[in-house]
Amino acid sequence: MSLVLPVGLALLWQLVSQLGWVKPYFLPSPLTVARAANEMIFETGLLKDTWFSLRIISEGAFLGGLLGLAFGFAAGISRSVEKLVTPLLDAVRQVPPLAWIPLLVLWLGVGNSGKVVLIAKAVFFPVFLNTLQGIRGVSLDQIEVGRIFGYGRLRLLRRIIIPSALPSIFVGLRFAAGLSWSVMIAAELLGSRYGLGFRLHLAQEHLMTDQLFVIIILIGLVGYLLDLTIRTIQGRVLHWRRNFVG
Amino acid sequence: MNLESVVSQSDRPLAEPPAGVELAARAADRARAGGPSPIEVELRGVSKVFASKAGPVTALDHVDLSIRRGEFVCIIGTSGCGKTTLLRIMAGLERESAGIVRLEGKPIIGPGVDKGVVFQDHRLLPWLTVDENIGFGLDRHSAAERAVLTSRYRNLVGLGKFGEAHPNQLSGGMAQRAAIARALVNRPKILLLDEPFGALDALTRRYMQRELEKIWLEEQATMVMVTHDIDEAIFLADTIVQMSSHPGRVNRIIPVNIPRPRRRDHPDFVAIETQLLEEFELQAKGYFGEGI
Repeated sequence: MSLVLPVGLALLWQLVSQLGWVKPYFLPSPLTVARAANEMIFETGLLKDTWFSLRIISEGAFLGGLLGLAFGFAAGISRSVEKLVTPLLDAVRQVPPLAWIPLLVLWLGVGNSGKVVLIAKAVFFPVFLNTLQGIRGVSLDQIEVGRIFGYGRLRLLRRIIIPSALPSIFVGLRFAAGLSWSVMIAAELLGSRYGLGFRLHLAQEHLMTDQLFVIIILIGLVGYLLDLTIRTIQGRVLHWRRNFVG
Repeated sequence: MNLESVVSQSDRPLAEPPAGVELAARAADRARAGGPSPIEVELRGVSKVFASKAGPVTALDHVDLSIRRGEFVCIIGTSGCGKTTLLRIMAGLERESAGIVRLEGKPIIGPGVDKGVVFQDHRLLPWLTVDENIGFGLDRHSAAERAVLTSRYRNLVGLGKFGEAHPNQLSGGMAQRAAIARALVNRPKILLLDEPFGALDALTRRYMQRELEKIWLEEQATMVMVTHDIDEAIFLADTIVQMSSHPGRVNRIIPVNIPRPRRRDHPDFVAIETQLLEEFELQAKGYFGEGI
């Protein structure tokens, strides 16, 4: 079922290019794109660039995710921490990722650390906000169950607050993963010597439309797999949830 | 997993539980077991005042109450009479504004495993299995001890096969039974029940009342149950505490000496029922005037 649309689209694509409705440099045929993919993967090291992008992403996402969880938990558990950090964070959040690039380039150069910071920042907010919201959403009735058995703060956190907040935390993680991937591509597009964004930039400069298609499909595919991974973990962890499935 | 069919069967037996005769014998043993048992819970001049936007509201006003070890007490009253507040104070979930609250002579200053609580909603944690929920209060026990106690109380409440099920797979009656097992597993000195069967349908409720009576006799537990159901109170209680509202006060204390298992057509049952109904009507007239 989930393959109907992609396959249909590919067939339509083949039809359009075969009938010559559109010039090849606007829309190369699927076969040309497949040939370009073959060449890029086996001769010009496309997978190495993919791997490079993924590595930067995981570093940034790990850093941002960890900070987001830590701040989210701290602010969720303590009102005063929340009051201390949220105004500043809310202001920082309003500045879009790309606006930080000039400053990051100035401070950290055009190397990888700037990108890691940019991705960490992009990941931080959804994780932070959803963790905070998840903890604030824990029902007092459930907390009371812990209190009845004499649970202290730490045991309440471990046995009630965290499990109860997990669905919301996962929403943040999934959203952040998608966001980090797009921020990564955007950052590489602007200044990099490796990575999928850089390859996209190259293909654009040389008007190699077939290569553009290869990279776009690859970006979509990797992003989809990232999301699928998190979704699978989410399904395992939250197996107890019974939701409307359509 | 489709539990629905099993659920309806186990919730609504076709006949009276076969334990009737045995139950009567055990209840008689209990009656013979000697003179009055010691006082387990003692409340003296307990008041509770809540702050509200319209000023302080007195929920409880000088409540005196003594509950003996092994006694089944039902606190009954219309909504707003402070009966739930009274129970929450005994549970240590609220503090009294004035007065003395003691459990075995020691003041109750907070919640703890010596006081079991069952709420109207089962409050099982949805991410845990039935067994993990029942064993929730055994956090400090070894895994082996926990397994033994959990399965013992799971069987006691009749959830034998459902240890691995999750709460959302249970019916309301089954979930409430799991909640009762969770409250009992620590062998609390007192079990506090806040309208535990209020959300169940009438048939399931009657069945659960008999089950609870059985558990009470088996565990020789002290139980305090808040209810607004007169029939339920007479069916279960050794002592009925009738409260009046605004502010919440103890209106009458009525001993129920009907042999167990009780029949609802027993003359004393009917007499107490009539008496309580008249009492409530009198109270209602006090609030709403003669018009009703």
